[in-house]
Amino acid sequence: MTQAQAEDTRIDWEAGLVQRACSGDTRAFERLYREHVGRVYGLCLRMTRDAHLAEDCTQETFINAWRALPRFETRSSLSTWLHRIAINVSLAKRRKASPVEPMLEDEEGAGVAGEWTLETPVEVQEIEAAIGALPEGARDALVLHALYGYSHGEAAQMLGVAEGTCKAQLHRARKLLRERLNVEVL
Amino acid sequence: MLVLFASVAVCTASDKTFERKVPAEARGVVDISNVSGSIEVRGWDRPEVSVRADLDEGVESVDVNSDHGRTSIKVVLPHHSVRHGDAHLQVQVPKDSELTVSAVSADVVTAGVLGVQRLNAVSGDVTAELAGSDLELKTVSGNVKLKGHGQPARLHVSTVSGDVHLEHGAGDLEAGTVSGTLVVSLDSARSVRVRSTSGDLHFEGKLTRGADFDATSVSGELKVRASAEAGYAYEVSTFSGDITNCFDEAHTERSRMPGHTLQGTRGDGAGHVHLKTMSGDVQLCDRK
Amino acid sequence: MSGTRGRDERKVSSLRELSGAIEPSRDLWPQIEARIDEERRVTPAASAAQERPARRRTVAPRWLAAAAMVASVAVGVWIGRSLLPATRPVAGAPATAAAPTLLDAAYVSDPRYQRQRAALMQSQQAQLAALPPAARDKVMTSLAAIRRAKQDLESELGKDPGNALLQELLVNTYQDEMRVLTDVQQASSAGKGI
Repeated sequence: MTQAQAEDTRIDWEAGLVQRACSGDTRAFERLYREHVGRVYGLCLRMTRDAHLAEDCTQETFINAWRALPRFETRSSLSTWLHRIAINVSLAKRRKASPVEPMLEDEEGAGVAGEWTLETPVEVQEIEAAIGALPEGARDALVLHALYGYSHGEAAQMLGVAEGTCKAQLHRARKLLRERLNVEVL
Repeated sequence: MLVLFASVAVCTASDKTFERKVPAEARGVVDISNVSGSIEVRGWDRPEVSVRADLDEGVESVDVNSDHGRTSIKVVLPHHSVRHGDAHLQVQVPKDSELTVSAVSADVVTAGVLGVQRLNAVSGDVTAELAGSDLELKTVSGNVKLKGHGQPARLHVSTVSGDVHLEHGAGDLEAGTVSGTLVVSLDSARSVRVRSTSGDLHFEGKLTRGADFDATSVSGELKVRASAEAGYAYEVSTFSGDITNCFDEAHTERSRMPGHTLQGTRGDGAGHVHLKTMSGDVQLCDRK
Repeated sequence: MSGTRGRDERKVSSLRELSGAIEPSRDLWPQIEARIDEERRVTPAASAAQERPARRRTVAPRWLAAAAMVASVAVGVWIGRSLLPATRPVAGAPATAAAPTLLDAAYVSDPRYQRQRAALMQSQQAQLAALPPAARDKVMTSLAAIRRAKQDLESELGKDPGNALLQELLVNTYQDEMRVLTDVQQASSAGKGI
């Protein structure tokens, strides 16, 4: 089976579970939860930087998803849909705890193209700590773009900012990581 | 003789005048209804209800009945006629009466009535003086003008598309509109709950200690200038509108991020202000 | 970031090598399942209505029965929305479609809400015709405003289904629609009663 075929099979399997969950089958929804909780929790944890808050965000995400499941179109990505919910929940909980960060000016041509490769390998724990220390806006943009693979436009839309702002945040993230890790981030 | 008939003929073809007085209890109930024309009600110190009406052709008469503390005044139209005339009523009632008015296309004006007022109009405009008693007012498309004297009361105003102007009110206000504009000033507000779909809200007033202020709109603009000696906690949420506040002397914070909330506390934070819109812009300030 | 796992001593050469998935330190499903079960018994709209501060009133409003029906409709709307099949506004559809089609599209499972709305919609045209012309025009403008609000809210909820603010505003809008339909019905018969 090719990768594309495997992906199609997975989507069909997931679509079946979504349909059953829509009819009220919580066992089907639990299987979807188990399939996606890792990436949802990972996103919440990186955005909130607090395990307890991340657990709250994860629970809230899946409860909101349960409510809104009938509106989900099965040919699009359930994972992306869940991440959108998780981002909104995390941002809302984070705003409750701290004031809104000042807006970053859009920077045209901020040079954010790149694969986020490191000039020399760095320990995972150290990178995670450096990412965790980034200002919220920069961290959010970096996590969605570099870790979760969303495009600038997708990440901007999920975060509710202009694409230019997202690029400016990524530029800032790159600069700060470079300073913190003391390696070139390409 | 020919001249006399002519003058009588002129009289029957023109407006009629109706006058009647009935005794009434000081705190009785007065019910007034009119389809078309106007209704003007004034409170006075006498224990009686006085009705004076100018009736167009097409209005049969005015029924006035008084029984067991309830006085009803009803404009009677011919049953099988499609043409309805106007009736312009001027009614004086004991000032502490409980007043109920039902109008379709009749404008309503009340003044000097100190008791509870229930005013319903379809398309007529309603102008009422507030005096410290409850007011319940409902219109479909009529505009509303309310003027108080700062005496606390429970005010419930509902309109589909009429505009509402309320000045010098006080106490509790519950107001709802779909597309009308609400311009409200309260000398002291204990509880305010306002809802609109596309109508704008402009509020200015002073919140009492521990007051609750809740306003939601889908696309209408919310402009709130609420001061409070004991302060308030505020939460402003909008999906795609702009939020502006004036809390820092040095600058106005303006947020361009969609789908966001602005939260904070003024003073001791004793009260609560919640403002929510989908696309309407929100302005919150605690001073003029 | 609060620790949730043991120290990962792997070295990576790219941020893209970092794993997106992090398993929580405990199973969150039991609490999620409990909330889902609870919500099946008590809906958010009904709970919100219960949380409104009690208001002591010295007189009962004449339209209390209609207001209670409108408030209770929120329960039916909320239950119904959780069982709706996925829908999306049709691209390119005119902003103002014919009134019966747009309003009929708000299908809700609660049978009482469906019956009441169907009865009001059936007589809506006749009721509007019975209003004075100026009032009729204004009411139709307001009904159009409600339709636009519902369309806009449902469209945004389609992209952002977990948005609590949009959900609350949509329930409000459904309630306002019922209030207007009820008010129009009462207004159109006001002349007959007077």
